[in-house]
Amino acid sequence: MRPVIRATLHYLALVVISAIWLIPVYAMLINGFKSNLAVLSTPVLVPPTSFSLSAYHIVFNALERPLLNSLIVVIPTALISTFLGAMGAYFFYTLTYSFSKFLSSLSDFLFSLITLATFIPYQATLIPLTRLVVSMGLLDNYLGIMFAMLIFYIPTGALLMSMFISVVPRSIIEAAKLDGAGDLKIFMKLILPLSLPGFISTLIFIIIEAWNNFFIPLVLVTTPGMRLIPVAVESYTGGYGTIYNETFAAAVIASIIPLAIFIFLGRYFIRGLIALGGGGKGV
Amino acid sequence: MVKIIAKNISKYFKKRNGYVIALDDVSLTVESGARFGILGPSGAGKTTFMRIIAGLEVPTKGELYFDDKLVASNNKIIVPPEDRKIGMVFQTWALYPNLTAFDNIAFPLTNMKLSKEEIRKRVEEIAKILDIGHVLDHYPRELSGGQQQRVALARALVKNPSLLLLDEPFSNLDARMRDSARALVKDVQEKLGVTLIIVSHDPADIFSIADNVGVLVKGKLVQVGRPEDVYNNPVTIEVANLIGEINELEGKVTKEGVIVGNLKFPLDKSYKSERVIVGIRPEDVKFTKDLINDENWILVGKGVVKVIGYQGGMFRITVTPLEGSEDEEIVTYMDHPLKRKEEVLIYVKKGSVKIFET
Ligand SMILES: Nc1ncnc2c1ncn2[C@@H]1O[C@H](COP(=O)(O)OP(=O)(O)OP(=O)(O)O)[C@@H](O)[C@H]1O
Ligand SMILES: [Mg+2]
Repeated sequence: MRPVIRATLHYLALVVISAIWLIPVYAMLINGFKSNLAVLSTPVLVPPTSFSLSAYHIVFNALERPLLNSLIVVIPTALISTFLGAMGAYFFYTLTYSFSKFLSSLSDFLFSLITLATFIPYQATLIPLTRLVVSMGLLDNYLGIMFAMLIFYIPTGALLMSMFISVVPRSIIEAAKLDGAGDLKIFMKLILPLSLPGFISTLIFIIIEAWNNFFIPLVLVTTPGMRLIPVAVESYTGGYGTIYNETFAAAVIASIIPLAIFIFLGRYFIRGLIALGGGGKGV
Repeated sequence: MVKIIAKNISKYFKKRNGYVIALDDVSLTVESGARFGILGPSGAGKTTFMRIIAGLEVPTKGELYFDDKLVASNNKIIVPPEDRKIGMVFQTWALYPNLTAFDNIAFPLTNMKLSKEEIRKRVEEIAKILDIGHVLDHYPRELSGGQQQRVALARALVKNPSLLLLDEPFSNLDARMRDSARALVKDVQEKLGVTLIIVSHDPADIFSIADNVGVLVKGKLVQVGRPEDVYNNPVTIEVANLIGEINELEGKVTKEGVIVGNLKFPLDKSYKSERVIVGIRPEDVKFTKDLINDENWILVGKGVVKVIGYQGGMFRITVTPLEGSEDEEIVTYMDHPLKRKEEVLIYVKKGSVKIFET
């Protein structure tokens, strides 16, 4: 095939895929600005003739508290999961290269177990998890939600960070050992800075996962004031009838934070992924 | 400074189908304050041996002593690398990419209990010796190859190690910078008196730095001695090749000498095998048009000039025997060129011909 045709086809495919992705986003954006009547009487893809902010106004007032709750829970959860996950990943890395055959097999085994843990659906663990949180006295409490999320996201952090850490050249770690640095110092001074793009990628991934997590806050929160954003947004559909413009506005507000994070930190996300393929040149 | 004693060290690496023997029963003593070279072809186990001395790898069998202290034995590390007082320059230098040259050099010191001023003083001191004082605020990627190598050396030396390990430290430098780097290493070693082990497959490194050399071939230590002695009396043709250029000719042993085509090399003693390999260093060969009247040079026969090259200010002349074995070649360096296809007399220096039984 001629290169020009090939490139054209590539771009065509990209345009089609982007369009498929963008149409719902577009619908979400425009319909929130319609009035109660217009959203019912005009087709979904037709933009509003007059912009109405009333839906946003109503929804924002209702979602202010859940937004704050989500931020309070998700940001520390993601930071802790990524950091502890990175530490765990480094720990397994050092075990794998230890001289003891027993330790390195143990490390492989434990790591497989962790990997497996990230595939367990939350739904399957909800009842024991809830009982655990209740027995700790943390039901309907930020700490309880964070604790439950950490159980799932620390392994995710470890799994992702282990990929990024394995790109750091081993000779650098060995040089640091010979220089008398302990593992904590090697981790803080070398591993963490050298896998920073990976760290940020992992952080973004976990923020988005935790932000969208529905089941954990659903079961661990009992009072409306403690609701997190996915649960609050869900209340806009169903019930006694759906007010579509408010649903769309709620969806926009709920996705603003992950979207903003992705826009500002997205290049690190890409760089982190590039570092994986390019042999540790991500810094 | 420290004396290194390796006793019957073997290292096996596990592979899917069996083992790779990286080191095979290596025994060696490096005296305190000595400069020891390890020479060997690629894959001979040089890096593995260094890593065992450093404590980054564990010997499968055998014992390693620092002075009279056992540091590793039979699959066990007894003294971990951080307690061995070792400065090491890795084959790839392994600088910390996220730290400046200053912080790279200071890194080992930050692990000791030293004040900020003391660290600064020591880093600047060593940087001055190695002439990198002006690039201390650069990151490794902002340094030239030679500067990176010197930063790696500074990092290894700043902690006043008892033992300095250099793993092919010059292989990433261009040829012009190697000589000054070698001189620098030797100077610094003399100034500090640290025991030095340098690994290389380049004999020039060994000759310019080491007082003694051990030759590793396929994991076995085949010869140990002063570099000149190994150069003049190598135990095998392989060792002879590793430590310098040598002409290799396949010959047949007769009563009068070793016959290679129309050439006849003198024999110093009798040999069991009929086929042998004759080894002659280029500097022990002379091609002339006229007879030489010097009893130190022995005429071995006539040859014909095959190739004329030019290298390092000398003409590199390749000659083949006139008859019989046209694929055999003898090389020497001369200050004037010869003509192609010219017939010449081949002389060899008395006592310089090395015979290896196959
Ligand atoms: N970690 C390892 N796992 C398996 N085999 C290894 C390992 N390290 C080295 N080897 C093998 O051991 C042998 C010796 O390797 P080593 O790196 O010591 O060679 P070298 O003499 O340093 O070579 P070079 O001059 O190319 O650096 C090689 O056959 C190599 O494949
Ligand atoms: Mg090597």
